[in-house]
Amino acid sequence: MTIRLGFPVKVLGVTGLKSHDTRRWQNGPHLSVSLAYLRDVLDYLQRQEIHFYRFSSELAPYATHPDFPQFHNQIAECERELAAIGEMARANRVRLSVHPGQYVVLNAPEEELAERARKEVIHQARLLEAMGLGWEGVVLLHVGGVYGDHRAARERFVRQVERLPSEARRRLALENDDHRFSVDDCLWIHERADIPLVFDYLHFRCHNPEGMALSEAVSSCLATWPEGVPPKMHFSSPRTAMVVVEQQDAMSDQVRRRTRAPQPTQHADYLNPFVFTDFVRVAWNAGLEDFDVMLEAKAQDLALLRLREDIERFAPDVARGLV
Amino acid sequence: MMEEVQADWQAEETPALVAIMNNHRDFEIARQEGWYRIPVKHTPRRLGAEYLAFYQTKAFGEEKWAVNYYAPVHRIHLAQRRDLLPQEADHPRAEDWYYRIEIGPLQRLPHPVPSRRLRRITFIPTTLARLLSADEINDLWLGSEEEERLWEAFKQNKIKVERRVPLREGDEAYLIDFAAYCRQGKVAILCGGAGPLGEGSGLREHPAADYELSTAGWSVLRFSPQQLENSLGDCLASIRQAIAQEGGLKASLDNANNRKEGEL
Repeated sequence: MTIRLGFPVKVLGVTGLKSHDTRRWQNGPHLSVSLAYLRDVLDYLQRQEIHFYRFSSELAPYATHPDFPQFHNQIAECERELAAIGEMARANRVRLSVHPGQYVVLNAPEEELAERARKEVIHQARLLEAMGLGWEGVVLLHVGGVYGDHRAARERFVRQVERLPSEARRRLALENDDHRFSVDDCLWIHERADIPLVFDYLHFRCHNPEGMALSEAVSSCLATWPEGVPPKMHFSSPRTAMVVVEQQDAMSDQVRRRTRAPQPTQHADYLNPFVFTDFVRVAWNAGLEDFDVMLEAKAQDLALLRLREDIERFAPDVARGLV
Repeated sequence: MMEEVQADWQAEETPALVAIMNNHRDFEIARQEGWYRIPVKHTPRRLGAEYLAFYQTKAFGEEKWAVNYYAPVHRIHLAQRRDLLPQEADHPRAEDWYYRIEIGPLQRLPHPVPSRRLRRITFIPTTLARLLSADEINDLWLGSEEEERLWEAFKQNKIKVERRVPLREGDEAYLIDFAAYCRQGKVAILCGGAGPLGEGSGLREHPAADYELSTAGWSVLRFSPQQLENSLGDCLASIRQAIAQEGGLKASLDNANNRKEGEL
């Protein structure tokens, strides 16, 4: 039984370690600089013995932006550096994946938006390809918007997936979200588009209109992954801390602090180790052994390292299965 | 051109890398051709940066032993030495791989950032803000919150120590967060434990065995983040006492004639 724990994008554990070149277009950001940052991150992951990481979807800045064709050739310009990063990831046994931002809406009714989303998916798949990564390097998407017709939105997603070239399609994975498309919706899409499903624990807890049991949802999603590719899941804890909002009074210029309750869909800073161990046991009891878990917490890698410590202390049997 | 670069960055978060410049030919390549090279097998732990700065060694006369210039980073590509320096195709390292860092025009820093003691300088990951405001090399290191707090206290109290001093013991390499060089010995000051080389204390405790440090002639003081946060005054008192026991701090080695190449 092996569970690889990972975290997305931003590293908080050491000072000043960037995830990608964030400069604006005027300052000429470039994939080659982002790859130098990614190299530094991989070095950090090795020291922390972390074997799963989601790199920034903006690794190649402006690479698909329609107004900036000067940025469109970055993958070709960095073939050697991309191959070196892939080699480093393989040598360190790190699984890399990418999750394009919410603006990538494959099922958008407007063809222009859908086309931009397709281009983005193809671009991200090409990046993974240029790194020489196996099919475990996935491009993760949400279904997108409902646009007033839930069924039509699902069908449109399937049709858009069918329009992707096979190399990009083969790297796609789909995640259940927290208020639009449930695990059941994603299974419906999987049956038609044959893309694997990433089970998101918190989203499932927030949006499960079919009343599906946790063990059934987990095992159904994990069963969508092809032979030889470790399934991937997301785990996060809902924020419970009070939210403090600062507002500047226009008349007095004074800053006022107001408090409000958090949304259950918000991620907590760290992770609840007890819920996590229960979750892992559910998967194990369902006969699921090897999978990867992307931890989504505001404290990023710090949350992962803390979770490891907590599990070693409170659930040593689960800790033995973690990598 | 720097003038065209929009100020869209927050300088404190803009990564910069200080690299060694030890000969005039490489300086001219940087200035005129706009690139600098780092051997892949000697790449620092932090390579990614938006700015590259140069620590100039003894070869540079009045500009020696200081960081004087910096430039924006445009690209970072891999290349073999024979392609970088085709006129040296027979060089024994002609087939070796390097990072070719393409840079913009060299800019002079508002004031030089000198090293004030005899020590080996290699690469220093820092930020643009630090580069522009540093008084000396030790100001450039990026430390944990507690390490920064202690460094500020040292400066305010005029206790001249060195930051991030590498110590190699057996198979393990450690960094001493702060090193006080005294007349009769040396004091190693560790903020929560010495870290893996190149990253300071890092996340985890990497306790370089006090015994190993002691056999290398160091007196060791360790402070937890809580101690540094809640009782900085007591920490400083302990440090002062340890320095006094070792005969007090040595005077700064400002005599340039005694310095070795690549060191100050």
